[in-house]
Amino acid sequence: MTNEVAIELTLGELSLDELTALTRHAEATDLDLVVLTGEDALLDPWTTAVWLAGRTERIRIATGRPGSPLPAVAAKALASAEALSGGRVLVADPAFVRLPARSTDDVDGHAPAVHAARRERRLAHRRPGIAYDDLPASLAATAVEPGDPAYRGASSTYLRGGSPGLVLRPRSATEVAHAVAFARGHRDLPLGVRSGGHGVSGRSTNDGGLVVDVGALDEVEVIDEEHHLVRIGPGARWKDVAAVLDGHGWAIGSGDYGGVGVGGLATAGGIGFLSRKHGLTIDQLRAVELVLADGSRVRASREERPDLFWAVRGAGANLGIVTAFEFEASEVDLVGWAQLVVVVSDLADGLRRFGEVASGAPRDTTVFLVTGRPQRDQAVLQLYGMVESADPEVVIERLTPFAEIGALARQQVVLARYADVMAIAADVGPEGHRGYGEPVTRSAYAPRLTPELAADTAALLDTGLVHFFQLRTMGGAIADVPADATAFAHRTPDFQVTAMGADRTGLDAAWDALAPHFDGLYLSFETDPRPERLHDAFPPPTLARLREIKRRYDPENLFRDNFNIDPQEGPHD
Amino acid sequence: MTDYGHDLLFGTFVTPSAQGAGHVLDLAVAADRAGLDLVTFQDHPYQSAFLDTWTLLAYAAARTERIHLAGNVLNLPLRPPALLARAAASLDVLSGGRLELGLGSGAFWDGIEAMGGRRLTPAEGVRALREGIGVIREVWDTDTKGGVHHRGEFYTVDGAKRGPRPAHEIGIWVGAYKPKMLELTGAVADGWLPSMSYLPDGADSLPGLNARIDDAAVAAGRAPRDVRRLLNFMDAGPASSADWAEQLADLALTHGISGFIVGGDDLATTERLAAEVAPAVREIVSKER
Repeated sequence: MTNEVAIELTLGELSLDELTALTRHAEATDLDLVVLTGEDALLDPWTTAVWLAGRTERIRIATGRPGSPLPAVAAKALASAEALSGGRVLVADPAFVRLPARSTDDVDGHAPAVHAARRERRLAHRRPGIAYDDLPASLAATAVEPGDPAYRGASSTYLRGGSPGLVLRPRSATEVAHAVAFARGHRDLPLGVRSGGHGVSGRSTNDGGLVVDVGALDEVEVIDEEHHLVRIGPGARWKDVAAVLDGHGWAIGSGDYGGVGVGGLATAGGIGFLSRKHGLTIDQLRAVELVLADGSRVRASREERPDLFWAVRGAGANLGIVTAFEFEASEVDLVGWAQLVVVVSDLADGLRRFGEVASGAPRDTTVFLVTGRPQRDQAVLQLYGMVESADPEVVIERLTPFAEIGALARQQVVLARYADVMAIAADVGPEGHRGYGEPVTRSAYAPRLTPELAADTAALLDTGLVHFFQLRTMGGAIADVPADATAFAHRTPDFQVTAMGADRTGLDAAWDALAPHFDGLYLSFETDPRPERLHDAFPPPTLARLREIKRRYDPENLFRDNFNIDPQEGPHD
Repeated sequence: MTDYGHDLLFGTFVTPSAQGAGHVLDLAVAADRAGLDLVTFQDHPYQSAFLDTWTLLAYAAARTERIHLAGNVLNLPLRPPALLARAAASLDVLSGGRLELGLGSGAFWDGIEAMGGRRLTPAEGVRALREGIGVIREVWDTDTKGGVHHRGEFYTVDGAKRGPRPAHEIGIWVGAYKPKMLELTGAVADGWLPSMSYLPDGADSLPGLNARIDDAAVAAGRAPRDVRRLLNFMDAGPASSADWAEQLADLALTHGISGFIVGGDDLATTERLAAEVAPAVREIVSKER
């Protein structure tokens, strides 16, 4: 591995203007690292390094440790500089090769050597089987490979660590088509498609493969005010969508977290706070534009390619990369936003009562439950959700039965905009996600939350195999849509159930034993890799139709990473 | 009626949230673009949800052009004065004279101790602050020959170089409520920076507290107007900008407050303060003065 090469600027030798000008010149010359030295100079090196990072956009600034005798304060300063600058302020590594510069001519003189060293480092980090040099110029401009400074922020996702061989970051539908063409030349490698990077089952990172990150396609645009039609890029986050729509008094329900990207969720389902009133997210979809495996760009709606439109709504990851969604937003006024903490002495009884209250609530009320391993004699239920009403009395009336499930330990109920609730999600900085490892989750639909399911769930939680257990209440408008209207066929369950643990084998064994209570699963939250899960995600008629559509649109199975419908399997006509 | 005759400053009090670093910077940039005079950040290094305020000040200064910046207030027990003075002078030089130094004696001693700071009694904290301000001014004093030599009750500096010379006279503003801190403020500080919500009787506390500062200033051979009076407000004022301006103008004319720093972390408030409230307050005050 070759060492990094840095331009060295010495404090005290240079005026302030020179310092800033040389750093900016180095950035403009496409150099990526400056080291500030001169510890005995009057100017404080740490403050100067942070300042220079603030006056630049891409270049990294290294210097000595922050000047505090207290290690905890110095560590905090480092972490803060990283958060503010997107990882561009760092402590200088003694292994850096330093090229001193006092003028822009010096910087220019060093540039070839720095670029050569960087090429060498990039080459040394490249993964086998990828034709890096064949990348079209449009994609090469934004692509990230393992030797690039931006790689750390592009390799991991929210819940998963990864080390892809190449991350493509197309900026337009045309570039997405170029990326798909590049992927066709690398069929043997894993191919991940990333919108917001929040996928639980969706593998938007991998080891040594390709990732197509559509995060740059993040436009949110109202295209028809009268009919509430909104065109949204797959890379937009739901909090951004909510903020734009709020200006019109509209909303599109998504999941329960505004940081999630549009693309992954809107091709799978979208079970959220507004679903019982307005349906799943996919139920508000009116058209999509996507790039197919052969690179063609097509539009699908009820009128054009209705089969494809049917399939994208529930199994979109199998068919292509959506580059734009057209939704019909709903009018949504103020909502009651509730976070309740309820303590119960008998977890099974608490779950059963929640099941009754949540599934029996009017459509304007959607409350989810999260709990974990119960303590010796009590369990803590976190209930959070929405009442779609601007009338405080209605909000209180709807929530009271939930508060009475056990002892109310904490409550926060406010009237808020839907956009405010989505805005709770933190921004992801330029440093990207920092997930690691592989999530261990299972998902299922519970047609009813029966006393037997409640008892078996309580017993499972007692084992400690599950540290996060969630019930998402369904019903209402979700069930108004026939099972065969979209590829999302599980329309009638009362709940979507998610369990997260750490022990794959242990969780799978315990969860498999609950199968009699369940009917199918929500593919977004399921990470069990066993092939039979495909049949839980798609009941036989849905799977048969999907396979037939897959054979037409992706016969060579380019898009295969997540709940893959293999076109070669199953009966042929 | 008390009015020390200072020009009026308007600014924001931004929560240095580590989770939303981008939003924190957006708020600072918005305050700068809106034409406010000040953007300030609280400093609680032991609070894990917050950014390091010094680092934030340096980065935010680089991302802004005209606005002045200050810690509100910086935690002296965790920021040794000689180092802080050098860092502050550096940032003042880098930013073209836009740094002011808000200082506090420390309040949350469990947190301070957890970060490696020394636990002091409140009375010791006041003496340490007074001593620290002396050290800071020594480091900034580049006209005196030789290094800084200081052997005090809390700090020892042995021949540290002076400088860099600040680009402007950095104001030292002290967060003070209790008699000894108010006396220190009157005797050695350039400004007083309390929060309205911590004043025991709200604005009614101001005459008594101001008088203590005035008396201490006079006793130290200074004039009361040598100490600017600023005030933090945790939230925006009345929904009507005219009503809000009336309130602030009254504080300026009746109690001599000349710095108004508003929290809330809200872009709309930042813009309203700059576009509607500040001009109205300035107009009322200039008419009455």
